[in-house]
Formats: sequence, structure tokens, C-alpha cells
Amino acid sequence: MCSDLDRQISQLKRCEALKESEVKALCLKAMEILVEESNVQRVDAPVTICGDIHGQFYDMKELFKVGGDCPKTNYLFLGDFVDRGFYSVETFLLLLALKVRYPDRITLIRGNHESRQITQVYGFYDECLRKYGSVNVWRYCTDIFDYLSLSALIENKIFSVHGGLSPAVNTLDQIRTIDRKQEVPHDGAMCDLMWSDPEDIVDGWGLSPRGAGFLFGGSVVTTFNHTNNIDYICRAHQLVMEGYKWMFNNQIVTVWSAPNYCYRCGNVAAILELDENLEKKFRVFEAAPQEARGAPIKKPPPDYFL
Amino acid sequence: MEWERDEKEAGRRGVTIHGWEIDSSNRPILASRALQQWEEKLETCHLPEMIFGDSSLTLKHIDSGIKFYFSAFDALVGWKDLALPPVEVPAAQKWKLRSKPAQQLILDYDYTFTTPYCGSQTVEVNHEDQITTARSLHWEDCQDQIDVISLSSREPILFYDEIILYEDELGDNGVSLLTVKVRVMPSGWFLLLRFWLRVDGALIRLRDTRMHCVFGENKESTVLRESCWREATFQALSSRGYPVNSEAYNDPSTSCPRLPIIMQKTQKLTIPSIFSHNNGIRSKGKYRKTGE
Repeated sequence: MCSDLDRQISQLKRCEALKESEVKALCLKAMEILVEESNVQRVDAPVTICGDIHGQFYDMKELFKVGGDCPKTNYLFLGDFVDRGFYSVETFLLLLALKVRYPDRITLIRGNHESRQITQVYGFYDECLRKYGSVNVWRYCTDIFDYLSLSALIENKIFSVHGGLSPAVNTLDQIRTIDRKQEVPHDGAMCDLMWSDPEDIVDGWGLSPRGAGFLFGGSVVTTFNHTNNIDYICRAHQLVMEGYKWMFNNQIVTVWSAPNYCYRCGNVAAILELDENLEKKFRVFEAAPQEARGAPIKKPPPDYFL
Repeated sequence: MEWERDEKEAGRRGVTIHGWEIDSSNRPILASRALQQWEEKLETCHLPEMIFGDSSLTLKHIDSGIKFYFSAFDALVGWKDLALPPVEVPAAQKWKLRSKPAQQLILDYDYTFTTPYCGSQTVEVNHEDQITTARSLHWEDCQDQIDVISLSSREPILFYDEIILYEDELGDNGVSLLTVKVRVMPSGWFLLLRFWLRVDGALIRLRDTRMHCVFGENKESTVLRESCWREATFQALSSRGYPVNSEAYNDPSTSCPRLPIIMQKTQKLTIPSIFSHNNGIRSKGKYRKTGE
């Protein structure tokens, strides 16, 4: 059984997708593991925290080069594995296969892109259809998304989540009571954890000009960290040119792990390594060199646009 | 010459043809520090998450000093001045019924970064090595139209580039994208500046500016500029029987025919013959390409 899984892992590491039947079996096994996890999954240090990947498979391989292989390194991924990049299928399946093979050495939590609705607009759905000729793989994967945990707590001291805080959540226990096995809702605590953003100019809570989506200021973070006796919050969700960014006097940090985002931004990426004493070390890395990629990304050919 | 210095810069490419220097550069997005400076200069704390602030397209008519250029900064000045009211996403209706935190600030800037920008221009006059700039170009409204038929002919493309000026994912609620594409053929240059906005479930907006210059021999040359703005709400699209799923509107070119025109105008700028005349003699069909 394990040798089969090991073979699949090596195959995925070469950026070769699995057969549809293998994906189905893998998702079933992953479901058994993920269903047991808490909405606030406990994680032990040392651990390496990673932000958004967005299907940039070859850049994720750079991440593993910098951070070390799983299971030697214990990983926590903060969601947004899929969409926008070219290899969402291979990226997510590799992470999922590692989860099944080494459940205690890798933690995957849900990002706002791990959703049926969002993946239909931003790439993962189309990629599954293109690579498999049917949407079955998309169905298996999006069904698994519903089982992903919502957040993680490292050594009771560092709270990790994809987006941010919610006015409906004051304590970690309130997160623990959420029934997460569903599509990401359009509002409420579960939605906010995956969608909200810290914002400098807001003191307290702010509402996005879109009319939906919360922004939270420094005082909200101070209160949350104090109430829950945590040192700081680690989140992802927003592109930061330098790979990571502290806000509100080091009470919250954004970690971004997709270098040269969308293959054109030219940004660096980062991962956060915490040792057994929770000492922090940011490891900054660049996109995979052109020759390390399966298909080189060329400039668009001249086009007779009108 | 300025040109040779430019060649050393990464991501910079160009061509010189018929008295025009055309060059483009594609650079990474602004880093946090530069972003902060832009925020100060533009007096705002909200800018697109991806600003390609060092990328640009420049088309300079050497003898007259007339220079057209396209920059994210000028486009954002236009956004700031326009200051459209925010567009509500569909979920906003539901959010209004939601119990609100006691202290809540509602931000009301135009997060779509909609701009009326149709390019920047300047005249650089060289007086004993001192470049002075003036903004005295006169565009006049006209009935002429850009010659789409001649532009459809498959003459060779001598230079081509596509430059993103800024982009925002609207927090995964769609896309706001400002790009400029240019192609240079033996007969002339043509460019398309395009602002493309899709707020999922709410609104689609397309603002195109096309500029075309036919290279002339021994006569004055004109640059035609055509602006066309299109816009539709998803509700309006639905009432006209068009799809309302966002995936159907991933491509501005295919979405374009479904969007009604709300503004259209064509203007022309004449470059005096004295300059064009000189150009004709100088370049006579020759061109130089750099940075390929």
C-alpha cells in the first residue's frame, strides 16, 4: 500500500498527474485523516509555515529545496494551493499525497480558493477539465476541500489562518464549534477566517468598499491575541513583494510563498521556520529558474490585435 | 544618445523606424518602499496590489520631440481624480443584514481602479542640450476612423510588446487590469491601451484607447486616437439573454461585443510636415531593433 503511495509521490514530484482512479482513492484516504482534525489543528514545533502556492508547482519545488523535504521538515500550509498557476492539479495532489503518507508531518488548512465557486472562475476547474477530459477530479478535490481544517495553533502560542479574524470569533473555542464540512459560505465566521485582511487605516473593524469582507485593525488583533494567550497570528492571503510582512507591532505576520506570482510579478516569496523554541527564521526564495520548468513561459507571440 | 543607455536596462526593448523611437520595458511590481512613496504622492492608502510602476511604453517622434507614453502612475492620477463610487458585490446585500461589529468603518474608495486615462504626452524640445517639456499638443475631434482593414493585413510585425501597467484581483472578486499592447509594421504603428474590469456578479467595464500612426513620406503625418468605453451590469447582461457566470467573461475581446458602448470618440493630432519631411529622408524604410 505504502509503496504504491510512494510511487505516486515520486510521480507527482516530477509534476506528472495521477490517474483519475488514483485521485479518487487518494481523496478517500485523505478524507479519513482530515475528518479527524480539529478546526483549530494542534501543531508542534519545529514547523515551517508556508503561504499561498496557487498552482506554481515548480516554485513549490524551490520551496522544498529551501525548507527541506517532507517528512524531514514538518510543514504547515496556509491554503490557496490551487488556481491562477498552471499546475494546480499536481500541486494539490502532491500536498495531499504527502498528507496521507505523513499525516503528522504536514498540516494543510483551507484557503478561500479551496472552494467550488472560486475554482470555477480562477483556473482549477478548467485545468482539471483540460488534463482529465472530465470534471471528476475537480469533484474529488473540491469534496476534500470541505474537510480541510480552518486554522492551526502552534504550541498554543501562534495562531495560523489563511485570511484573518472575524467579529463573530473572540475565542479559539468559537472556531472549534464551527461545522466546517461545507462549501465556503458567503458570510459568517468560517467565511471571515478565509477572507478577511488586516488594514492599517482601520482601528477596530472595517468593511471593504465592495460591501462584503471584513478588514481588521491593530486593536482587534491585540484583543484577540490577549484573550487567547497567543504571541502572534500568522496568515497568508495577500501578496507581499518581500515575501513576508509584519503589522501592528509584530502582532500579525503575512507569509506569501508564490514567487514571481502569476509568472509576471517579479516578487520573492518566503516561508517561516520555527525551531523547537519557536525562534523565527524567514527563508526568502525566488522563482524556479526557467530551465527547471517543464514548459518554459514565453512572452506572448506577436499578435495582430485590433 | 539616450537610446544606447536604455539598452543596458533589463526588460527594455525598442525599435527606431521612420523617425520614431519606440521602446517598452517590462519590470517587476513595485516593492513596499516604492509603493509607500506612490501612496504619499497620490495621497491615498489604497493602490492596486500589483503595480508595474517601472514598466512603460514610449513612442517618441524624434524631430518634433512629441512623445506619447503610458505609465501606471499617470493612470492612477486619473483614477484618483475620477473617484467613482464603489461597486457593490452581490454578497453585499446579504452583508447588510448581518449583525455588525459595534465600531465599524466603511471604506468608500473606488477599489476597481477605474481610470479615464488614455495615455500621456509631452513635447521635448532640445535647446542646447537642455530638454524642456511642454504639454501643448492639440488633439481635435474628427470623423475619421482608424483603418481597421489595413491593420488587418498580415504585413510583418517588426516590433511587438504587451505591457501590464497595473492589476488587482479585487480580493478574488474579479479583475481590474490596465495593459497596453503595441505593434510596429513597415506601414505604421498601432497600439491598444485597455482597462478591463470584471466585478464578479456585478459589473463589467471595458475602456479601450487605440492609437494609429501611418508612416508618411514627404507629407505631414497624423496620429488617430479612438476611445471607446463599454459597460454593462451582470443584471443587464442577464436581461439580454447573455450568461451571468463570471467564467464566460474571462477574455475582454470575446466579452466586448456583449457590452454596450457608452462613450466613443475619435481625435487626431497632426505632426507638421517640416518634421515628417525630415523623417522621410532620414529613415527611408530602414529600421533598427534593439534588446531582442
